[in-house]
Amino acid sequence: MSSTDGVPVSAPKPSDIRRPSRVILEGRRSGPISDRRGGKAKANKRTLAIALALLLPAIVSLALFRLWPAGKAFVTSFEELSGGFGFGNYEYLFSTPDFQQMIFVTLMFNLAINPIQVVLALALALLIQQRLPGTTLWRMLAFAPTALPIAVGAIVWNIAFREDDGLVNSFLATLGFDKLPWLTSTSLAMPAIIIMACWVGVGYWMVFLLAGLNEIPQSILQAAEIDGAGWWRRTFSIVIPLIRRQLLFVLIAATVVNFLMFAPVQIMTSGGPNGSTNLIMYSAYTQAFGFNDQPLAAAHVVIVMSILLVIVGIQFKLLKSKDGDN
Amino acid sequence: MTIAVLTGIFFALPLWWILISAFRPELDIFRYLDPLSAQSLIPFRLTLDNLTALFAGTFLRATFNSIFVAAATVIIGLVISVLAAYALSVLEFRGRGLIFLIVVVGFLVPFDAVAIPLGEIFTDLSLRNTYAALILPGIGNGLAIFVLRQFFIGIPKDLKEAASLDGAGTWRILWQIYVVNSKPALVGAGLILFVFQWQAYLWPLIVISDDSMQVAPVLLAKLQGQAEYGFDPGQIFAGTLILSIVPIFLLLRFQKNFVQSVATSGLD
Repeated sequence: MSSTDGVPVSAPKPSDIRRPSRVILEGRRSGPISDRRGGKAKANKRTLAIALALLLPAIVSLALFRLWPAGKAFVTSFEELSGGFGFGNYEYLFSTPDFQQMIFVTLMFNLAINPIQVVLALALALLIQQRLPGTTLWRMLAFAPTALPIAVGAIVWNIAFREDDGLVNSFLATLGFDKLPWLTSTSLAMPAIIIMACWVGVGYWMVFLLAGLNEIPQSILQAAEIDGAGWWRRTFSIVIPLIRRQLLFVLIAATVVNFLMFAPVQIMTSGGPNGSTNLIMYSAYTQAFGFNDQPLAAAHVVIVMSILLVIVGIQFKLLKSKDGDN
Repeated sequence: MTIAVLTGIFFALPLWWILISAFRPELDIFRYLDPLSAQSLIPFRLTLDNLTALFAGTFLRATFNSIFVAAATVIIGLVISVLAAYALSVLEFRGRGLIFLIVVVGFLVPFDAVAIPLGEIFTDLSLRNTYAALILPGIGNGLAIFVLRQFFIGIPKDLKEAASLDGAGTWRILWQIYVVNSKPALVGAGLILFVFQWQAYLWPLIVISDDSMQVAPVLLAKLQGQAEYGFDPGQIFAGTLILSIVPIFLLLRFQKNFVQSVATSGLD
């Protein structure tokens, strides 16, 4: 670990470390020193046994609540309606117009929302970084929606998007615009979900970027300012390159979250109108619990997992490259 | 500056709307929205009726369920994570790197992705409508393990070696050197575990069908979806307020730790 890469390392400060009192330690002097005599091999074996015992609960929960269902979905996805075993569910998924639309909608949603969230989070972080009057208040306001479960955010925005008497339309009407059929129009339902998801999520992603911004030495920015670089120039040539790791991390983490977007769809649109907001997790849910078609739902799950594994693989590479020799 | 104000409005207005609507008589909630007027945003009549009505129903129980499930997850999850993090950072054994890789990558696959097949498994095991069903999937958390492990690595090894020479066993070293000195990481890991449960929606929707076992966000969504059975927006806003108080309190209290250990550990 090093702190040279722009991100503060979460390690304890030496002054913070509380040392156990001598009395406690010396009290055990007469303890099982003989353990240490069995030679290196025995000691290694013992360490391995202790390590495995300590890791057991974590590994068991990983196996039971992640790997088992993943494996089950994988196997189930090949069970065909005819009773055979093969790629039937996948063929059906990729050849039926409704599901083709679902895949298209999911991809378009992600292509739209992920860049939007990253840009907004960056704008917000830069704004807060400006130290305008009341910075703490701005920061709290942007962060506060993050505290809400996304489902609760969706419930509120569902009311806010009501056509006749919702908050959004009354705002538009006051500004002289027409009222819009947000959740009942095929072209507006998805933007409505994106707006809602940005309200909930952007403040969270902002925190990561702000942590990066705070690591940039002020001297670099001041030097650039003296050399005549304007705000935009400084932002694009210095700030953004210096926080590219954080930007990449936020982009990946947001993509994972948004691929799994479920609650807002279920609460606000039920995938409609006309399938225009039928994201893959909602489609999987309706197949499993609406139509009771477990194999088809499992095929959805396998597709989602495959996409996420690739994304998570990239994420892990990022984690690892900071991890040095450990 | 204009951008700052617009952004402020985008984030603040809905929050303010939730707050005032939670304390408004039901009739007033939509009455002043069209056209917007001072009355839209400044309530002249306030009431606690929404909150009392909400708590007279099933919501109180659901809020208790949510808090109980989150608290149990934090406690059990911290124990599991501390043990695993200790093994993966302090103890030296062959295959440590590989196990670390498996644990972290395995848990990095988000839980919601496997919620549907796991729901089938839990149904087969007759675990539907139990607290165990709600708590179990949250207790193993790769990010919590990761945060603690990174912190443990930063604690000087000589402390452990000195204690070891003095005859302290694994438990004593784990507790008196690592746990006692890792408060920021423990808070960070605790928040990660808490947020996982507080945000949960798909999983409780799948494994809980009995309203008395349901968590608050799902119940609130259900109440709202039942428009025909007397949809009561005042209660919905009151419920939203309740569900945001707990995390806002925790985040304000621990914001520094949150930023330190969660925001940066994503990258460290």
